[in-house]
Amino acid sequence: MFEDLRRLVGRIADAFKRRFYGPTFRCPVCHLVLAAIDADGNGLLVCPVCGAVLEIESVYGHVVPVVLDMEIHRPQPKLRLHPLATHLPIGLLPFALLGAVLLAGASLARQLGLGGMLGAVSRRAPLLADATLVLLVVAVGFSLATLASGLWDWNFRYRRRSYRQIRVKIAFAIGFLVLGAGAIALHLSGAVFSATDGLMRLGSPAGVVAACAYLGALFADMVVAATLGHIGGTLVFGR
Amino acid sequence: MDFNPTPRQQELVERAREFTREWISPNAARYDRSGEFPRDICREAFKRGFMNPHVPKEYGGAAEAVVDHCMVMEELATGCSGIATAIDGNGLSQYPVILAGTDAQKRRFLAPMTEELTFSAYAVTEPEAGSDVSRVRTTAAKVGNDYVLNGVKWWITNGSVASWYFVLARTGETLTGFIVPADSPGIVRGPKEVNLGQHASNTVRVTLEDVKVPEAFRLGDEGKGFDIAMATFNHTRPGVAAGANGITKAALNIALSYAKRRRTFDKKLISNQGISFKLAEMMTRLDAARFLTYKAAWLFDQGIDNAREAAQAKWFAADVAMSAAIECAQVLGGYGYTQEMPAEKLIRDAKIYQIYEGATEIQKMIIVSKLLRMKEVH
Repeated sequence: MFEDLRRLVGRIADAFKRRFYGPTFRCPVCHLVLAAIDADGNGLLVCPVCGAVLEIESVYGHVVPVVLDMEIHRPQPKLRLHPLATHLPIGLLPFALLGAVLLAGASLARQLGLGGMLGAVSRRAPLLADATLVLLVVAVGFSLATLASGLWDWNFRYRRRSYRQIRVKIAFAIGFLVLGAGAIALHLSGAVFSATDGLMRLGSPAGVVAACAYLGALFADMVVAATLGHIGGTLVFGR
Repeated sequence: MDFNPTPRQQELVERAREFTREWISPNAARYDRSGEFPRDICREAFKRGFMNPHVPKEYGGAAEAVVDHCMVMEELATGCSGIATAIDGNGLSQYPVILAGTDAQKRRFLAPMTEELTFSAYAVTEPEAGSDVSRVRTTAAKVGNDYVLNGVKWWITNGSVASWYFVLARTGETLTGFIVPADSPGIVRGPKEVNLGQHASNTVRVTLEDVKVPEAFRLGDEGKGFDIAMATFNHTRPGVAAGANGITKAALNIALSYAKRRRTFDKKLISNQGISFKLAEMMTRLDAARFLTYKAAWLFDQGIDNAREAAQAKWFAADVAMSAAIECAQVLGGYGYTQEMPAEKLIRDAKIYQIYEGATEIQKMIIVSKLLRMKEVH
């Protein structure tokens, strides 16, 4: 079961890479997967992790990199803000999602007349809803700082070079912000949570739709955050 | 004597080259690492008409000449010989049916393969019977109008994905060929073998336990199986040699590209004679292997006995591929020994060409057996 899930995720990731990266190859020095289309007009590409200066040529569809040089003296900011800044949004969002899932479970139990189940959650629903909102606001709000520090890193450490990984990270970071902002707006609108008992409004079709949209946005944001963390991790530690 | 390909052959090669660059080469490392069967690439190859090329026109095929097929195989194997084997594996099991099958057998087993993506497998080798096919121990006992097959078939290419098998089994003292549907009760497919190379190719054990096969699925007369199985190789060995030529071509291209760009001792690597001579030798050996391959294929297309030439081509092309892959790694130096560059995969993939469809030693035995019948060599 776990192996099947791992394979499925691997296939989705492979399909994603084929779609957005095109032909790829591994840096012969640090083994990072690089996109051949990131090479400049002279066929040169500098590995963002190890600094290997690679000349790329495609032979019969096989990408053959040749190491010409090593970029040893790379700008190293004294304080690596971006890797530090990523941890707050990525660390807080799962707890916001957990709060939302617990509230959804308690709301559903009440709707189905199973009041005993998740009773403790139901009793503390207003507090839990507020805590979920705070976690969400801090996670999404701080991600602005994360995005800004990431752009700063790209500008100096990576010299604004074109890397598929960084493009995908910028696009996903914007997606993270949009989805998170959408979830916060839904939370604050009162369409999802009842002001009286703090539980989700599952009594009406509109309430169910709003709750599904809220949970969907949070789950999607979690997937986006995990993907951002994975890509960022490979840019820091290599393969 | 004309060495120029026809416009049709040129167009075929261009199509195969485009397919290789677009589908096979970019995915070669991925399938090599995962060991998965490249069904998506086979589907695309099927759509583009690169699968089942030998099936006669009356059964929906293209009845492609062996020379044309060799040209295509060389291109596909330049991308990845494991994926090329998966694409071309059907041919080995189809040819016994083309050679000895009845019209009803061809309509039932060959025609559907031209309509949708399906696979078949040649199940002859056994754990105790590899090069010496006469040692096959799988039995086929006649019970009423059926045969009951029992035995173990080993290293069966496309064995997990096949919808039917060509099975060689012992009927008394002699060997007989059968078409066995893969969904027959009693067929047990083993796990994929973890081989040195060609990881994209599916190789498994197939066990037959009291498998009932109707008499209508017997190929030819009883006792003709060995001849059918051997005659098949005259058709397929040029294609195998072409696959080996594909590896040589890949090795040469990669080594050439690298040597022209890598700098050592303040000059290009190719400026060193020790390196450039390797490339010259690889090119020359590739051309020699090609000429042997195309001659064997051409003889078959003319209906002339090509057993010796097919053996020569298969042996020589396999040895050339092996040496070219090793030399490619040597040109790449330390990088040739890493998994990040395509050279080490070529070495692993090339080795099997010296073994399957008749080991190199068997090819030499065939050549000698033909020499023994000659008074003079002209």
